[in-house]
Amino acid sequence: MNPFSDSTADLVELAVPYALHAMPDEERDSLESRVANAGSAVADAFYDEVRAVRETMAAVSATTAEEPPAELRGRLLSAIADDNVRVLPSGPRRRPAWMATAAAVAIGLAAAGIGLSLRPPAPLPSTAQQVFAATDVNTISGAIPAGGTATVVFSRDRNAGVLVMNDVPPPAPGTVYQMWLVSDGTTTSAGTMDAEAVAPSTTAVLDNLGDSTKLAFTVEPGSGSTQPTGPLIAELPLI
Amino acid sequence: MGGRGPFTGTVVTLLLDRRLDGPVTLSDNVSDDAWSALTADLDALLRRVAHRDPEAFAALYDATRSRVYGMVARVLRDRGYSEETTQDVYLQVWRTAESYDPASGSALAWLLTLAHRRAVDRVRAEQAASQRDSRYGAATVERATDQVSDAVISGEERRRVTECMAGLTELQRECIELAYYRGLTYVQVSERLSANLATVKSRMRDGLRGLRNCLGAG
Repeated sequence: MNPFSDSTADLVELAVPYALHAMPDEERDSLESRVANAGSAVADAFYDEVRAVRETMAAVSATTAEEPPAELRGRLLSAIADDNVRVLPSGPRRRPAWMATAAAVAIGLAAAGIGLSLRPPAPLPSTAQQVFAATDVNTISGAIPAGGTATVVFSRDRNAGVLVMNDVPPPAPGTVYQMWLVSDGTTTSAGTMDAEAVAPSTTAVLDNLGDSTKLAFTVEPGSGSTQPTGPLIAELPLI
Repeated sequence: MGGRGPFTGTVVTLLLDRRLDGPVTLSDNVSDDAWSALTADLDALLRRVAHRDPEAFAALYDATRSRVYGMVARVLRDRGYSEETTQDVYLQVWRTAESYDPASGSALAWLLTLAHRRAVDRVRAEQAASQRDSRYGAATVERATDQVSDAVISGEERRRVTECMAGLTELQRECIELAYYRGLTYVQVSERLSANLATVKSRMRDGLRGLRNCLGAG
């Protein structure tokens, strides 16, 4: 028997507590995989129900409306004026983006077990310090579909960036992850990451951003390639 | 243990006693038009927020703050926590507006889902930290004192939604209350109500469907 076999009715019945956030996180995660494994008809029925519940509760919010303290507005507006963190939208996942609680943001699609690893961290403090001290420092962050987070802190003035990877699973045996700086028409390798380089947290410096507009990640065979040949698993815009 | 908590009934009443007096005269077309206009406006604003437009952000905040803060406050029942959580919610909106996908639902549902997630996470964290139900078990709910402007949410809209809520059975309402506003899991709801899981799940579903049909939403 397929361990994931569930009756459609059983799964769809859980759509309501799921949509109301009325289940523990572990159960929610397991439910999402069961729905994903149950086929598109079941998944459609499930997420249609989730969506309907959330629209309904949005309407119900009229009954609990209450004015927040007036000073909150000013605090928020000044907070966003200084905030240049952007978190990217989900990639082509089955799950609608707004259900991903937005904290997690996918960059591209990865099959099971694909993650990123990094070239062992180069001796880097001075570049990193320069980046962090730059007046035009920007941060862009996204979750890797297979797990973990990629964050790039970069400065155009300094022509450099720092990549931080957290909790990324190791690449499949015999492959590495390779980073690419992509600009109009050119793609330049920015290093590779193998299984050993994957740690709970890994850092790498990106020297010479040039006029690149994106940092892309691919899976490459062996120890890497001179140009991307493998599947694109993630992309962060450097703008 | 088992049995219902002392405040279950109170909560239900609190939701209902927001009902305004007077006969309910629904003019559905007007309501639906207003609702459509609101959701379309929010969609457009959210897209501008994704492009880092602070004016759009301020407009989005003004159009939704009372709904977001009110819901969060209902869940957290603490002004300080509610204010912090509301601030976190809108900061998250600023940072993640790009992840809003109109194909997945309205902007308002996206926003309230995000806000509810954070409120529930916060109430569970606070409960776990205190290991006691004292703070959150208390039946006191700080009631709204500031009237929400009619321009943002019309009295008619509130009346209509409140009427729909009143049309549910008591058990349906309790299930939704405990899950949505108390942050309980459906298993905890069944323990709290001494009802079996299948019953709780079906009451939740029936309650939501009843509301949806009544509202004509979704």
